[in-house]
Amino acid sequence: MTRIFSETEVASLKAFIIARALALIPTVLILITLVFFVMRVLPGDPVIAIVGMKAPPERVIELKKELGLMDQAGNPIPLPIQYLNYLSKLVRGDFGRSLIWGKRPVLVEIMEHFPATVELAIAGFIVSIILGLVLGSLGGWMGGKTSSAVKTYGAITYALFIPWIGMLFQLFFAVWLGILPVAGRIDTGLEPPTITGLYLIDSMITGRWDSFISALRHIMLPAITLGLVISGVFTRVTRTSVEEVMRQDFVVAARARGIPEHKILLHVLKNSFVPILTMMGLQLALLMTGAVLTETTFSWPGMGTFLLERIQYRDYTTVQGTVVFFAIIVSLVNLIVDICYAYIDPRIRY
Amino acid sequence: MYTFRPFLVKLVPKVRLKGLTLVGTIMVLFTVFLAILAPILTPYDPTKSVDLSLQPPSWKHPFGTNKVGQDMWSRTVYGARTILAVVFLSTIVSIVIGVPLGLVSGYVGGILDRVLAMIMDAMYAFPGLILAIAIAAAMGPGIINTAVSIAIVYVPTYFRMVRGQTLSIKEQLYVEAARAIGAKPLTILTRYVFPNVVSVIAVVFTLSVADVVLTEAALSFFGLSVPAPTPDWGFDLKAGHPYLLSGYWWLITFPGLMIMILAVGFTFIGEGVAEYLGAREVKI
Amino acid sequence: MAEPLLNIKNLKTYYFTESGVVKAVDDVTLGMRKGELLGLVGESGSGKSTLGLSIIRLIPPPGKIIDGSVFLDNIDLMKLSEKELRKIRGRRIGMIFQDPLTCLDPLRRIEDQMVETVMVHMDVERDDAREMAAKALERVGISGDRLKDYPHQLSGGMRQRAMIAMATMLHPELLIADEPTTALDVIVQSRIMDLLEDLKESMKMSILLITHDLALVIERADRVAVMYAGELCEVGTSEQISQDPLHPYTKLLLESIPDVEAPKTKLKSIPGNPPDMRSPPSGCRFWPRCPYAKDLCKKTPPRFIELDGRIVRCHLYEEGEKS
Repeated sequence: MTRIFSETEVASLKAFIIARALALIPTVLILITLVFFVMRVLPGDPVIAIVGMKAPPERVIELKKELGLMDQAGNPIPLPIQYLNYLSKLVRGDFGRSLIWGKRPVLVEIMEHFPATVELAIAGFIVSIILGLVLGSLGGWMGGKTSSAVKTYGAITYALFIPWIGMLFQLFFAVWLGILPVAGRIDTGLEPPTITGLYLIDSMITGRWDSFISALRHIMLPAITLGLVISGVFTRVTRTSVEEVMRQDFVVAARARGIPEHKILLHVLKNSFVPILTMMGLQLALLMTGAVLTETTFSWPGMGTFLLERIQYRDYTTVQGTVVFFAIIVSLVNLIVDICYAYIDPRIRY
Repeated sequence: MYTFRPFLVKLVPKVRLKGLTLVGTIMVLFTVFLAILAPILTPYDPTKSVDLSLQPPSWKHPFGTNKVGQDMWSRTVYGARTILAVVFLSTIVSIVIGVPLGLVSGYVGGILDRVLAMIMDAMYAFPGLILAIAIAAAMGPGIINTAVSIAIVYVPTYFRMVRGQTLSIKEQLYVEAARAIGAKPLTILTRYVFPNVVSVIAVVFTLSVADVVLTEAALSFFGLSVPAPTPDWGFDLKAGHPYLLSGYWWLITFPGLMIMILAVGFTFIGEGVAEYLGAREVKI
Repeated sequence: MAEPLLNIKNLKTYYFTESGVVKAVDDVTLGMRKGELLGLVGESGSGKSTLGLSIIRLIPPPGKIIDGSVFLDNIDLMKLSEKELRKIRGRRIGMIFQDPLTCLDPLRRIEDQMVETVMVHMDVERDDAREMAAKALERVGISGDRLKDYPHQLSGGMRQRAMIAMATMLHPELLIADEPTTALDVIVQSRIMDLLEDLKESMKMSILLITHDLALVIERADRVAVMYAGELCEVGTSEQISQDPLHPYTKLLLESIPDVEAPKTKLKSIPGNPPDMRSPPSGCRFWPRCPYAKDLCKKTPPRFIELDGRIVRCHLYEEGEKS
């Protein structure tokens, strides 16, 4: 089905994108501010937490300067100024430096762990969509008992605790059956050359099939765990959406014109898709949450594991930077989803 | 609060009728039962080491013992107290902060409302767990701290619903009539708006409490909740995880199962409530 | 043009709901001729829409057509397979509905929806189908370059015309119109009816006009069928019905039509309410509201009587009981 956009249509889509992009800025700003004040205002004294009660005063001052609490001359910087300093650095891409080990830039460290999370999130997302769309459409199309069963499935999966489900999978498939690896992302030594950072893609591009198999085996359990839990919401939304659309008159009218059922199903799905897509966008938050939990259960070296590790080490700058990074990513993805939404449903743009 | 009790009376019997909701109610009540009767039901102190470590389930220890030698049955039963305490504490805080803010914001409108709504929307779109992790990490361990971290994450949920409800009630004729006879805003809020908002609060609660349970479980899984010897299901899950590979299955099965029972129980209740309300899509 | 086109015989359509069985269409026999406009009139709940939907078997669950036949020429539509029935739908029998906005897929252009209809039934090139669509639109008074529009971009009247175009573009022999003008204002209503009459003439198409508006039907229809509580009461030409109504229900319906020119009096309505179709009254279903009701009416359902080329179902007209 080709889409030829008229001039006015292209213009309105552009306007929509610009308007939404602009709206992005205050949202991200609010989140950054929130995180900043939480990290700076709440803790007793992070400095003491880091270096301990018995640290010599020079060490404390040195740390305070590093954290941006004190300027070079040794005078404490008032909170609002700290905030503005932080913002100005962020805009330039400076997320601060880690407080431990090599004092590496936070952004660099984040980017090292980011691809792993992306890969897991995409894999989990795909699993959840397949489960959700298939089961939800089935439930919506068939109604009756199937519909109720699907509804119950949706309710239960949403309430599953990821670590526990993951552990059960580990117990069953890895420990008792022994057919899949328990944890990790790939067998050591089989990492493919880094192009995208996503092992599955990279190994395919470079033709390293042993890497590919290893990566695939390792991602199976985490992806299924994550996908299963996320699918609950998709299933429910798909089912409700399909049911509602089925009740609409144009389905009856189409049948009255002799259109065969499989074509009608396609149109129903397309019409159902809009609320599903909205839900998909909203589920990004759930996906991130799920990814963090899945990562820690399967020792998956992504941002979730990274965040928690740094919390243990009291590396506050990194923790703050990571949370800010999350905020930016979430907002960006929401923007993209909104744009897709407007593309598919012409009613939204005008 | 004259409409409060009639509403509750109306709600309870109807909801009980449906099968799943009944199952859910039983699941939740079971957990509460465990929490209340914990001392009677358990022979051992859950925080003390009482036997050899890593014992499989037996008559003496129906759920086995963990690495530290604590009785898993006692820990599981007492764990109900921890999680229920955090859940209800955080709900109360969320309501105490979110509801008045929603009322005022919705009623007063203007710039205050716009700004507040924007802030709440931004928070709402952000992954709750990550925010909770950040706050809990900053605040440190402890029941109150954990409850507050979680509470902050759910304030936007209560805020939005209450604000929405306030906005629609504000336009009703009887509110205008009250204004016309010179009632003060505070009176209007408490006498007219609030009672209608109470039902919404109850709905938001039933629909989001499962989430709160899972968030608490996650926080304790990461060690960001209550400190060590306090029995906590999430913590036990984390503690037992490394031993899974060696086949010590009982360390994680029971705490995890309890989390499931509580979360799924609340979810079923929430489904029942949503259906009772005519399946109007209550967006949480 | 008195050739028969459609023959509905003893049709029964029931809805099996949780709270009981709704006998929406209970043993209805009705015939239609080629080229005529038959108005099917009744209150809401009378079963008229269900009857229309039953003809092409579009009854949604929990409804089911239990019994009866519908003959199009010599083919019993009730006995066809889904596949065969689909060939008839849209091609030999078209249907339009009350709310054109919800009857058109909001996410697709008018053109796509019309072209799809053509391509399903005929083996033609896409471009030819597009030409047919453009012509069909022009026939109903919409300019061809609105093909590329989406349904929400058209006005209510235009949407209805587009629906009519879609339903008639393959020149069906019968058009079932379920309350086509109810959602429109009076002026647009009149224009749509003019259009339908036009099409009837030019395409030699029969129209089954389902409506609650008796005045509309008397004005436009060749014949009128009156339905109440799932059963037919009376069938006759529009002159016969308007000038000499036989069935008490028809009489009351006529009286309740407001007359603009008459002196100001209270609006007459039919006393009582339509029955609960899960447990309709025994005997003649109209007896609770009928001014002529007798004991016989409560016990025995009346038979169909033929009278002056009309059909009426009322104990008043049975042999030896002329009113």
